[in-house]
Amino acid sequence: MSGALLQVDGLRVDYSTRGRWKEVVHDISFEVPAGKVVALVGESGSGKSTVSQALIRRLPENGRITGGSIRFAGNDLVRLPERALRKIRGAQIGFVPQDPGSSLNPLMRVGEQIAETLRIHRRMPRAAAAARAVEILDEVGIPEPALRASQYPHELSGGLRQRALIGIAWACGPQFVIADEPTSALDVTVQRHVLDQLDELVQQHGTAVLLITHDLAVAADRADEIIVMYQGEIVERGATADVLNAPTHEYTRRLVAAAPGLREGRLVPQVQAGEESALFAAFRERVAAQAGSSAPSARAESILEVRGLGKTYGVRGGSFLAADDVSFAVPRGKTLSIVGESGSGKTTSARIAARLVQPDAGTILLDGEDITRATGESLRQLRRRMQVVYQNPFGSLDPRMTVERIVAEPLRSFRVGDRSSQRLLVRELLERVRLSSELADRRPGELSGGQRQRVAIARALAIGPELMILDEPVSALDVSVQEQILQLLVDLQAEFGLSYLFISHDLGVVRQISDRIVVMQKGRVVESGDAADVLGAPAHEYTRELIAAIPGSSAVSG
Amino acid sequence: MRLLRQPGFVISLLVLLLVAVAIVAPSLLSTHDPYLSVPKDRLLPPSAEYLFGTDNLGRDLYSRVVHGTALSIVSAALAVAVGVVVGGLVGLASGFLGGPVDFAIMRLVDVLVAIPGILLALIVVATLGFGPVSIGLGVGLGAAGSFARVMRSQVLRVRNEEYVEAARTLGARMPAVVFRHVLPNAARPVIAVAALELGTAILGVSALTFLGFGAPPPAPEWGALSAAGRDFIAAQPWLSIIPGLVILAVVLAVNRVARAIGGER
Amino acid sequence: MNATLRVLRYIAPKLAQFIFVVLATYTVVFLLITFLPGDPLLAALASKSGGDTIVDPEALERLRQQYGLAGTPWEQYWHRLGMLVHGDLGISIATGQPVATMIARTLPNSVEIALIALVIAIVIAVLFTFLAFLAPVRWLRNLLLQIPPFGVAIPAFLTGLLLISFFSFTLGWLPSSGSRQPGSAILPAVTLALPVGAILFQVFSAAVLEAQASQHVFTAVAKGVPPWRIFTAHLLRNALLPTITVLGLTIGYLAAGTAVVETVFSRDGIGRMTVNAVLARDINVIQGIVLMIAAVYATVNLVVDLAYGVIDPRTRRSGRRPARTAQPADEPKEVTA
Repeated sequence: MSGALLQVDGLRVDYSTRGRWKEVVHDISFEVPAGKVVALVGESGSGKSTVSQALIRRLPENGRITGGSIRFAGNDLVRLPERALRKIRGAQIGFVPQDPGSSLNPLMRVGEQIAETLRIHRRMPRAAAAARAVEILDEVGIPEPALRASQYPHELSGGLRQRALIGIAWACGPQFVIADEPTSALDVTVQRHVLDQLDELVQQHGTAVLLITHDLAVAADRADEIIVMYQGEIVERGATADVLNAPTHEYTRRLVAAAPGLREGRLVPQVQAGEESALFAAFRERVAAQAGSSAPSARAESILEVRGLGKTYGVRGGSFLAADDVSFAVPRGKTLSIVGESGSGKTTSARIAARLVQPDAGTILLDGEDITRATGESLRQLRRRMQVVYQNPFGSLDPRMTVERIVAEPLRSFRVGDRSSQRLLVRELLERVRLSSELADRRPGELSGGQRQRVAIARALAIGPELMILDEPVSALDVSVQEQILQLLVDLQAEFGLSYLFISHDLGVVRQISDRIVVMQKGRVVESGDAADVLGAPAHEYTRELIAAIPGSSAVSG
Repeated sequence: MRLLRQPGFVISLLVLLLVAVAIVAPSLLSTHDPYLSVPKDRLLPPSAEYLFGTDNLGRDLYSRVVHGTALSIVSAALAVAVGVVVGGLVGLASGFLGGPVDFAIMRLVDVLVAIPGILLALIVVATLGFGPVSIGLGVGLGAAGSFARVMRSQVLRVRNEEYVEAARTLGARMPAVVFRHVLPNAARPVIAVAALELGTAILGVSALTFLGFGAPPPAPEWGALSAAGRDFIAAQPWLSIIPGLVILAVVLAVNRVARAIGGER
Repeated sequence: MNATLRVLRYIAPKLAQFIFVVLATYTVVFLLITFLPGDPLLAALASKSGGDTIVDPEALERLRQQYGLAGTPWEQYWHRLGMLVHGDLGISIATGQPVATMIARTLPNSVEIALIALVIAIVIAVLFTFLAFLAPVRWLRNLLLQIPPFGVAIPAFLTGLLLISFFSFTLGWLPSSGSRQPGSAILPAVTLALPVGAILFQVFSAAVLEAQASQHVFTAVAKGVPPWRIFTAHLLRNALLPTITVLGLTIGYLAAGTAVVETVFSRDGIGRMTVNAVLARDINVIQGIVLMIAAVYATVNLVVDLAYGVIDPRTRRSGRRPARTAQPADEPKEVTA
């Protein structure tokens, strides 16, 4: 009991929506020992961010603490008057907010935002505070700290901004820091470096940290203890190794099983035996017929091949080389994944392959046929064979259409069957993607992210394509939902003989689904080959870095 | 619907209902003949018999207000219609075609917006002649600029949405994309703006009739009624103030309902 | 040297836009007048002489020359443009005086009430926003936020008439008309200020409330920054941005409002002059006024754009105002709650 820096006891938080108050955090209690890193893990709706905000008593307008106590340094933060709390915030409790894109004041220089907190809590004079701010930027690993201090947030990259936020949190040497998803918006290699920086600060200052994250693998790497939250309650807690190796709660087990960083190896299709209507059998036949439409000897080995793709974008003040001499081939019935971070050109290449963007150079071959210059009606006909699934489940479905209309749209566009047969087919498709057909009359706004993505997959599947191009299809989803979607994709591939071109920035996801992997960096292909080879014996430096940056790798390897 | 529980909204609906009746069947609501002058009853304050009092010719102000509803509201409705249709089409074309066409059209719209609505209306009225139709056209032209901008920004927003691109990959042809996806999604915010514009149009129309550009007397347009009462402001203030209050009430009601349309549906 | 070059590069397109707007306004108004049915000169003369138009074609031609309405539309266009460049706005058909002189004489009166109105409006907007922001009680804030729809819905002439009725006749405090008496500008200015103040309040308070809920204010609170400093350093400038955008719109409101206000209060001014010009179908005066207002509007927008450059460092390089939630392109993922 003593030695605990922070002690939360029976905390309850309510939120009001449209005038009604609902409890979202139900009576939770936990401790953070001095000098230790405790990870609070949960998915969306778990209440973890609410807890982090409640700890410094800054809930949004429609939230309030309704019970419990938060003991810190001899005070109950729930009952402390605001003035006293202000002295604690920033000085004794630091906070690293999420989303570096909007957490810094865009109109204030970076150095000033650090110096501000020094002037308030340490009463440093202007010049001294400004100088110390530059030092702090240096301490958090920002190169050219003096220059960066005089710049505005929009002139720094996401990773640098996050470091600046970390610098702000540690500026006054607090005993305790709350880090709310500090790296979720960053590229995985950047994430690794930033988390390393965090580790270093913890070592140096002996700060206790409460690390909020949705990624169990990150928690596994960085935390001494893990607390798992689910729907407003704590369902598991303990030392990291214990929680990972011997989870007691059902939900924790699901999380552990689902965390991409903690899994290796490819998913195996779980084909479900079951009844199949005549309609669906016809559908399946049509797909098979399309796939086998050309004679086996004339069929190309790869369903999709791109050679020497190039694309340059004109930007203010110059041009940007998005893709440079990119070549790859998707084997029939298999998955080729392109993995890379932002700016790697993976999305551009995929969009070129999908003929959504015109390349400046190169050729695209669909089943041996050159489709680089196809336009108009011939391009439209190609869509029967090649479909796209998008990243954003919120944006790729028309919010005003019902699920049924959405999934039936390709059937309508290509005039496959009449209204009633279309409706039946839609319902079968929904069931194939494991959605209750009751949802057919709902609108996207009423569905969860995972459900929407299933609708998008059903829609892509409806016309019976041979090739599906999936652009980060699971990146916007919760981890446990990611798993289900990936498994679904793998099952569908086995059932329908689909070929996938899969784009992702997350190697942990990619290694579960790929047969071949292509690694891209700054518009060029740096490595490509069979998944096992690329993952097991990476040839390129960057690939090695990517693999090392997968959170959870240290936990897995021991 | 939760809306019906809010008193402000219910009152606004009732007001609009009264307005509708006054437009379609004014004799149901009016108590006297709006054009009949009764010299012995000049300049009487509001009473049970003359709800809003009488003017200097002994005419019942209340009945005149009721009969003036059609003139004022229909003129404003015409303005909104002109604004939405002209501005909407221009904005749709501009947003969809993009490139130099978009640039040129938007510069023209900049000019349209640079000239204050009333002045633009005045130019139209000065050339076409006075009366409710010219006023409606003029105010509408003034509003067309902002409608063009709203429609264009909606079209641009929807065009960039993924579901529009997705529709293309699903095999939809361009016209299908426009009618199935772009228009329905772009139109809703524009309709919400149109509803709000009605209130502004009523104000614009009544300001112009106040200044004397409306139909010739004895047409009981609201603004003109207020202007006519100006000479008697010292002793009989109700003559000029009551028509103004009526306008205020109607505009408040229209805006309240418009906000509901924008927020709810 | 580099800095001045950058500033020039930022200003140049804005200046070009300014000139363009004035030119384009001239063109559009010219086209409107030319292509709308009716002969402006005949209409104006008819209105002046109450129906007896001069039939003599020679005399008519001379008049056309005098008022700059001679020749084909093409010739008229360039002729008038040439005059415009020299600051000559032509002769008023109704009064026979040079339009530029007429405007110069009446403009100060309008500017007087417009400026006072703007000041009052800004004060109202800031004051009410401050109260709404600081109000610890939610019902007070909601009440205050009900006021703007009211201020926007009330017809300007009603406000003017109410004020006259109350302050001039009932109380006898302030003059109800004229431009010469000392207090004569007050009531007109207040009348003008109401809708403008309502809009400014609406925009400014919405911007403040939005800024208050923003992420970066949360960061500031988490740092332990006291409320006063949050308001001044983290809220104010951020909320100013959308507010000064609206400033251009308010100029339009003010300009249009003078027409009604000056009529109600029988004041000499641009608005009243416009009204009289329309009644007399005096095209030259109308054109002159519209051009002048467009020039003022374009100037205000230019100033606003420059102000943006000063307040918001994000616009300095791109030269364009950023979208509301500007996010740079290197964020690969959505953040889960």
